[in-house]
Amino acid sequence: MLYVHSSNCISPQQTFPETELCELRESENNQLRVKEPAYTNVPPGILRRMARAVRICVGAALPLIQGIQEPDGIIIGTANGGIEDCIKFLNQIIEYNEGLLSPGSFVQSTSNAPAAQISLISKNTNYNNTVTHRGLAFENALLDAVMLLKEKPDGIFLVGSVDEISDYNFNIDLLAGSFRKEIVSNRKLFDHPTIGTIAGEGVLMMTVSNQPEGSIARLNDLQTIHTSDEGLVLETLKQFLKRNGFPRIVPELLITGENGDIRLDKYYQAVEALFPENISVARFKHLSGEYCTASSFGFWMATEILRNGKIPDIALKKGKKTGFNKILIYNNYRGMQHGFMLLGKAEALSSSKQ
Amino acid sequence: MTMETTELKQQVKEQIIKFLNLTTLKPEDIKDDEPLFGEGLGLDSIDSIELIVMLSREYGINIQDPKDGRKVLVDVNTMVDYIEKNRTK
Repeated sequence: MLYVHSSNCISPQQTFPETELCELRESENNQLRVKEPAYTNVPPGILRRMARAVRICVGAALPLIQGIQEPDGIIIGTANGGIEDCIKFLNQIIEYNEGLLSPGSFVQSTSNAPAAQISLISKNTNYNNTVTHRGLAFENALLDAVMLLKEKPDGIFLVGSVDEISDYNFNIDLLAGSFRKEIVSNRKLFDHPTIGTIAGEGVLMMTVSNQPEGSIARLNDLQTIHTSDEGLVLETLKQFLKRNGFPRIVPELLITGENGDIRLDKYYQAVEALFPENISVARFKHLSGEYCTASSFGFWMATEILRNGKIPDIALKKGKKTGFNKILIYNNYRGMQHGFMLLGKAEALSSSKQ
Repeated sequence: MTMETTELKQQVKEQIIKFLNLTTLKPEDIKDDEPLFGEGLGLDSIDSIELIVMLSREYGINIQDPKDGRKVLVDVNTMVDYIEKNRTK
């Protein structure tokens, strides 16, 4: 499908500019917010006006595209874009009785602001798209890149996803039962499963192409489905695995989006049960928190595991820590939007397809 | 310069920093006669709209004609002079 050449992940954990996942950064008030880096690549005059989602996205993207050929496209998946500024703008409409409104928060709050800012700063006038499929926005951004690489086999694309916590939508989601009512540390997210989880945010940006040379991982296949039917999810997964050589070829590692919400456990348990006992299982929502494009953190973790050859201790649920060539990621968003992504070392998956 | 004008200049500088999110600047970094746009503070067209919004919200001044905006938003001195003559709150 496509090869990942470089990536930057800004998350609530120490993942940018250097990765250090030995120490878990703790959640506060059931939220895992990103620790923003110093943005040395972004002109201060532009930085001051950016919404947080735009800032972290630009901060992750710019180092990737400096010194390489101009990307043939910029594709970003985001469910909510700069939601905090969007709400700020809507509140202004009420506060000032639909009078004179400050344009900054409007400009920065549109979903396509992150991709547009990267384009403006890097003077890239090629394809520019923002994908907003809520809990599957990241997967669909990847799918867009896959299709573009079929049209332009020599192309290189900047693809990724971003979403931020806003106080307003956190409270709405809290009232809707998405997040835990009692305060829980992310360190103990899986210890006492109950209804709800913790909120998160983050950005992943990557350069991708059809070229295996110099790549860190290959996305071999991708499947999404909208349903709450557990049986249909499993059937979709079985077909997905079958077309990728299962049971002859079995992923050695399953990364799941398990988030401590008992309402979603049945999906993750059913998927785990499909595989032999000896496959390793890892999870990441205690590191990233839950958000619409959280699967991108799982994707980034998979590429890091393939690059380094081992799982960070804090992510391992069961099984061995090393020796992975093929990794399956399964994530679902609120039990309705399910995504499967099969990754591997470039060589391993290339040979398994033959 | 009256005490009121000096205080108003300080207040306008603080508001410029707040409205335009110029977090690296302090009021004393902005000179009274330093051009707001171009070589001075380096503001741009979106900032000019933010400043017009600021004048409306903070001083009840509605600048309807863009030509007036060009005359008012030259530097802190011109802004304060305009505010003193036209403020409604």
